[in-house]
Amino acid sequence: MIGRILGSAAVAIAMLSTVSVTTASELSGPVSYVIPFGPGGESDISARFQQPFFKEKFGQDMVISYQPGGGGAVGWASLNGLNGDGQTIMGVNLPHIIIKPAQKDVGFTTEELNTFYMFHYTPDAIVVAADSPYKTLADLVADAKANPGEVTMSGSGKASANHLAQIKFDKLAGTLTTYVPFKGTGAAVTALLGKQTKAEWGYTTVGAKQGDAVRMLAVAMEERHPLFPDVPTFKELGYDMTGGAYRGIALPNTADAATTKMWSDMIGEINNDPAFRQQMLDGGFAMLDIDADGMADFMKARVEEYLNDAREAGLIK
Amino acid sequence: MEFGQFLAALTPLNLALALFGVLAGTVVGSIPGLTATMALAVLVPVTFAMEPASALILLGAIYTGAIYGGAYAAILLNTPGTPSAIATTFDGYPMAKRGEGDLAVALACFASVFGGMVGALALLFLAPPLSKVALAFGPVEYFWLSIFGLSLIASLSNGNLVKGLAGGAFGMLLSTVGVAEISADIRLTFGSQTLIGGFGVVGALIGLYCIPVLIDLVAVPDRHLKVEENVKAVRIGDAFRIAMRSKFNLIRSSIVGTLVGILPGAGGSVAGLVAYSEAKRTAKPQQKFGEGEADGILATESANSATVGGGFIPTLVLGIPGTPPDAIVLGALLVQGVRTGPAMFTQSGSIVYTFIYGLIIATILMLPAGLLIGRYAYKSIVTIPKAVLVPTVGFMTIIGTFSIRNSVSDVIIMLCLGVFGWVVAKFGFAASPIVLGLILGPIAEQGFVQGWTIGAATKNLFGMFFGRPISQGILAFTLITLILPLFLARRKKKANMEQAS
Amino acid sequence: MKHSSGKAGGQFGSLIISAFFVLAGLVTLYDTLSYTDRDSQVFPQTVAIILIICASVSFVVRFIKPTDNGGFGEGIWWRRVLLILTMLATCFLMPVIGFLPAGVVAFAGGLIAAMHDRWTLSNILLYWGSGAIIMVVFYTLFKFALHVPLP
Repeated sequence: MIGRILGSAAVAIAMLSTVSVTTASELSGPVSYVIPFGPGGESDISARFQQPFFKEKFGQDMVISYQPGGGGAVGWASLNGLNGDGQTIMGVNLPHIIIKPAQKDVGFTTEELNTFYMFHYTPDAIVVAADSPYKTLADLVADAKANPGEVTMSGSGKASANHLAQIKFDKLAGTLTTYVPFKGTGAAVTALLGKQTKAEWGYTTVGAKQGDAVRMLAVAMEERHPLFPDVPTFKELGYDMTGGAYRGIALPNTADAATTKMWSDMIGEINNDPAFRQQMLDGGFAMLDIDADGMADFMKARVEEYLNDAREAGLIK
Repeated sequence: MEFGQFLAALTPLNLALALFGVLAGTVVGSIPGLTATMALAVLVPVTFAMEPASALILLGAIYTGAIYGGAYAAILLNTPGTPSAIATTFDGYPMAKRGEGDLAVALACFASVFGGMVGALALLFLAPPLSKVALAFGPVEYFWLSIFGLSLIASLSNGNLVKGLAGGAFGMLLSTVGVAEISADIRLTFGSQTLIGGFGVVGALIGLYCIPVLIDLVAVPDRHLKVEENVKAVRIGDAFRIAMRSKFNLIRSSIVGTLVGILPGAGGSVAGLVAYSEAKRTAKPQQKFGEGEADGILATESANSATVGGGFIPTLVLGIPGTPPDAIVLGALLVQGVRTGPAMFTQSGSIVYTFIYGLIIATILMLPAGLLIGRYAYKSIVTIPKAVLVPTVGFMTIIGTFSIRNSVSDVIIMLCLGVFGWVVAKFGFAASPIVLGLILGPIAEQGFVQGWTIGAATKNLFGMFFGRPISQGILAFTLITLILPLFLARRKKKANMEQAS
Repeated sequence: MKHSSGKAGGQFGSLIISAFFVLAGLVTLYDTLSYTDRDSQVFPQTVAIILIICASVSFVVRFIKPTDNGGFGEGIWWRRVLLILTMLATCFLMPVIGFLPAGVVAFAGGLIAAMHDRWTLSNILLYWGSGAIIMVVFYTLFKFALHVPLP
């Protein structure tokens, strides 16, 4: 599936390169980029990476602010009430914007959000401490089979990408592990490093950030991450599992088509800057280039996939 | 750790940035609702154009200043400017009310500089070993730490323990409103969209502490703070003597602050509360905590300033930010191309050391800057006529609460909580236990749920909660804090009775 | 919850607040029944039970042993009410007429509420003038220096 995404992304890149982007003049001042979480998470870090490129390419400041609450719900519920003149954008995250409205009324629906670009994703990965007895994924699976429930795995929140991945993997491998939810990836990693849990359901970004302190057992990508040539994919090991948490940007739905197009082109241009791509890959992210035109199809597929996973996991009815 | 990096931190530009940062941070911190996080987030793009080390010095200085600035509003308006200054209100405001606000401000300044230095020096010399503290603290330890913090309710409930406990429990219930942090349910919103984000700590602090003060202020014509006959600008000499007398309190509180600062799940508010609790526990009989005791201010302010340096230890060594401002500095480092984490001290050592020296310089600059700003803050608060002071503070609470999440409903929630807090306080349900519940509730809940999950999985629940050495230590301290006062009171009573007979 | 600040008020207010806390605990217990995840139930249920016990004890103690402690004390009610009502009005006006004009309402309310001296021309000019400056300065600081999207 990621292959398909990357394929369509390649087409998008080809299209982008032929269209000249001269839209910066339409911005009338500093742009407000709202992150509906606190600082320090993957959403924040990737926005920080975009910030200098935006200033350099389009001459305007990109001001990042944080609006945490309700696991992002506060921000997204307020998004469509904001001014749609193109001066305000907000980060969006999958699976959050799909799972949350499906669980309960949180003040927004997936379809209401005017997501115009998906620019990266963080592939799921199983991470263990460097001195863990689990050298390979097989070690972990063997332990989980021998001692059902005793393998504890930390992760960020419940009904999150980490949690869905844990449930899915348990099903694929026929194991029973215990998922311990923490407040954000940082806390989940702390628990792992402190030996509070035996492993962590995290992302490739954890491997990039923690370096030698951790070992990744497998990553949920089609092909190995360029930063970690030695870490196998789940697919190689026989588990048909790809995916992770996707991140993009949305405008208020009052924004007109021209503004949406302008933004899609601008973020696309940043995303195609080799220096930006390199910085993101070094951070452990995986690039994604879904622009405004391809968004409907992309979201449709993701909604189906995530809702299906969540339903099977018993997280939604 | 060569001398060169120290000199690099001393360039005129870096010194100017440190001074500017401390001044700006102090102002930011003193305005309730304006947080260091917000100021840093806005300034990060400015720092892209700078040398990495200079940028970091500026960010670190603002953070340091903001934590100290929180004390002004706490002392002069009974409103913690930042959550770190919650415990500063306990003794700072009573002190200001009886006319010694100038002394309180100076005490806070000395304590902050001392605590800030201890934290920064720990960061400089002991960062790698101390970072292990962050890892040694598991869910259960956080759970017991929050219980220890909650034990303070016993002494904050103005002599009515049952009411205090009820308030604390109510505060904990408030903390659960909205989307649950680590489980996915939506709780206690009763279908309202407004409540989905829950009660933000900063907004709740403004409401519960500041609004009651305003309501009481307008109702009677008396002055806000009592003014002594001959107002001395800031009583530096007195403050210094008191601080010297309480050096053990300062040292203990700074160490507590550094250690709590290292814990990614705790932060300045918890550090202040724990240090306050310890200072109170070891108090001499004649000291009256809660009624304007200098040691209360010294303990809180040294502890919360020490969390700045302490918090950077896991941020820099493990790449795990302890507080939101730490997270922003970490993000700025990443964008500057500095890799944090285990290898950082060796790979990007020079930038990191220049940053730490910058933090130390900023802390030292806080002494003159803090005393100077403190002088004007105190003078203006006591001299401004009430008819201007009240609407100004009222306007600040509105704009400050709004800007936390750009939300009007947050302001309305803040006002409602304020009126509620004012009413219940009039009948013996003090605001502080509610605030303690609100702040420590999530730590307790997450620690408990995670500890329970892990304990159940490994089939060792008892060992999980009672068998770990750090947990046992915290539990012991909690029991001592709770039982010792009862024991002493009984012995005193007995002695009195024997004397009488 | 607005009753006179008489001596009986202390007794009465405590009873009402204790009853309110008991009610809050019961409502919480009811609300937790709808949660899907056991993890989200444990904590609120435990705390609600503690709240109900403490508030009940407080209620019963006050009932058996009435004391006169508590009460709203001296003070002028219209000033308190004016202050809070104008601040609330500001919140509701903010999205409609913009932050600064709405802020003037709260400021004016606070000023009038807190004005215990005689109005003279000089202090009218001084107070309102300084008020205008303070508001514009804060507005500028938040809107343009800190990029807060004030309406």
